[in-house]
Amino acid sequence: MTKRILVVEDQEDLRGILRDLLTGSGYEVAEAVDGRDGVAKAQSERPDLILMDIQLPVIDGYEAIRQIKADRNLKATPIIAVSSFAMKGDEEKARASGCDHYVTKPYSPLQLLRIIRGFLGEKV
Amino acid sequence: MVEELRRDLAEARDQQAATSDILRVISSSPTDLQRVVAEVAESAARLCDAYDAVIWQADADVLRLVAHHGPIEVGPVGQFTLRLVREFLIGRIALERRTIQVADLQTEIDEYPEGRDHARRFGYHTQLGVPLIRAGEAIGVIAVRRTEVRPFTERQVELLRTFADQAVIAIENARLFDETREALERQTATAEVLKVIASSPADVQPVLDAIAAAGCRLLGGHTSILRLLDGDAMRFGAMFSSTSTSPEVAIRIRQPLMVSADAVPSELVAKRKPVIIVDTETDHRISSANRDIARGRGYRSFLAVPLVRGEAVFGALNVSRREPGTFADKEVVLLQTFADQAVIAIENVRLFEEIAQKSRELEIASQHKSQFVANMSHELRTPLAAILGYAELMQEGFYGALSEKSTDALTRIRSNGKHLLGLINTVLDIAKIESGQFSLNLAEYALDSVVETVRVATESLAETKKLSLKTDVAKKLPVGLGDEQRLTQVLLNLVGNAIKFTDTGEVRITATAMNGHFTVAVTDTGPGIPPEELKRVFEQFHQIDNSNTKAKGGTGLGLAIAKQIVEMHGGRIWVESTLGKGATFQMELPIRAEDRKGPSAS
Repeated sequence: MTKRILVVEDQEDLRGILRDLLTGSGYEVAEAVDGRDGVAKAQSERPDLILMDIQLPVIDGYEAIRQIKADRNLKATPIIAVSSFAMKGDEEKARASGCDHYVTKPYSPLQLLRIIRGFLGEKV
Repeated sequence: MVEELRRDLAEARDQQAATSDILRVISSSPTDLQRVVAEVAESAARLCDAYDAVIWQADADVLRLVAHHGPIEVGPVGQFTLRLVREFLIGRIALERRTIQVADLQTEIDEYPEGRDHARRFGYHTQLGVPLIRAGEAIGVIAVRRTEVRPFTERQVELLRTFADQAVIAIENARLFDETREALERQTATAEVLKVIASSPADVQPVLDAIAAAGCRLLGGHTSILRLLDGDAMRFGAMFSSTSTSPEVAIRIRQPLMVSADAVPSELVAKRKPVIIVDTETDHRISSANRDIARGRGYRSFLAVPLVRGEAVFGALNVSRREPGTFADKEVVLLQTFADQAVIAIENVRLFEEIAQKSRELEIASQHKSQFVANMSHELRTPLAAILGYAELMQEGFYGALSEKSTDALTRIRSNGKHLLGLINTVLDIAKIESGQFSLNLAEYALDSVVETVRVATESLAETKKLSLKTDVAKKLPVGLGDEQRLTQVLLNLVGNAIKFTDTGEVRITATAMNGHFTVAVTDTGPGIPPEELKRVFEQFHQIDNSNTKAKGGTGLGLAIAKQIVEMHGGRIWVESTLGKGATFQMELPIRAEDRKGPSAS
């Protein structure tokens, strides 16, 4: 069965990379362009994994992660936070919001792919 | 003849005894002028065989009675004065600076009309006077008087001259003592004010208070007030009063004074010269309202001096007194000195505030700049992430098979992109350091794996330049506590620099542990660093200025950041080099580091 990954990212170019990376690697991709949209899509699409940008319009990634993790049906869905913040405390803040992993931009797409496969219990 | 000799001898003996008595009094109490002149008057009356002796001291245009011995009435000692005029015998002696004897003053209607009246009124006839001369000036007169007509002998005249000399010594002593004491008081007060100025660079009020207090005390004033000009008005600055001040008066004194409405401040502002009001009751410059205030407060005279900066008056300092009367020149000078000190203090505070304001502005500007650089770096990284991401996907075949040339071009795109990312990260690090956001993520790390990471990362670069890259790591190094990522960054920078500047030979990394510290050294066989540059290489933007370094490029920030990171770990970094024989960059790090806030790199 094809696994579904939700990409929450406001920058079209970066969404494009993830779309190409993930569809090219055999995943189904759902996309959201802001935090609120991300929470709604998580509820409607029921993805197997979520890639969540932190700097997002409407509500930010921290808040979106909190809302998703508070949803009984979505609690178990792994969330990888992606941030271009690299200031002290950013990773702690992301982890405190409930994400399962944290990567900073710019990341190598193939390295990210390895991390995703690890979370989905697939061969890396 | 024998009788005469005997009398001479007796007189000489008496004279000597009197002189020594007086000199003893002078030396035992140099400051007690009253006691000394009283002694002189008493001896003069006795030894000149007069009933009566008086000593007068010149004081502006009068002669003041300072000592009297005898039955003939004069007036209260210390207060009674005679006008310094020729119509009095005493006055003429002082004015003409010569000894004069009048056998019967009661008959001298032509020469001494005033003296005659005086002699008649108080019942004396013969009077002999000798001027008290100091430096050619008559500072007073000593006179002996008789109630009958009996002129003094030549010898008695000589004797009186001796007493005159002694009186001069006594008066001069007392004057010198007073002057010394006054000078000392002035100096002490001035020093105190200066001390207050020095100790309160940011606050002018303590200085104004000290100046008002010193001015009032030293001039024996009733009240001293310092005001500052603010547009058309004199604003209250400070006040010191020797008496209590009722709340109503205190409030009134604190009201701003319109300069144009008051003659004294108007004159001060216009003429920039001190103003003396000898008597508030009679001076036309005092308005009736101000006269009422003076009456209510209990003062009759005052001195006001301007606070002058450059050509402009910007305040006034005044001291009032209970009694009417003028102020001596030295008092005017003294108060002006205090006013000048107030000017200095106010100017100090203004400059201090200006500098503080400027540095606040600079700090804000610097923060804005750091924030701007941080934001800019962030904005630069986002498109770079897209470039690097797409290049990687393309190279990995996500968009189909590629020719060898395309793969090669993509390698170059990615390598340059990573280089650009490195530069942006460097600038971001500096911005973080400057804005105080730079901090360490402390965790346990293995130093050998840091060395290995750096070796792997720089291996290919060394290979390209045909340099041998060697590592020499001590066995069984203890586990360190520090920011592994930052320490890797430091070592990467050192090794990268070593490879960059070395054209032949080797680059060696050594790591050891001793006495709670790791020592990591990077040694190269490059051109070396001139001695004068050894310290400066760690400064921001500093690059050794020669054609070689210009060709090698770089931001000149790497070592500054390295130094910051090492120091935040509580360590130190330095370089040793012999020109032409390579360089060794060395750092000493506590094995267990504590994050210490780095100094701002500004």
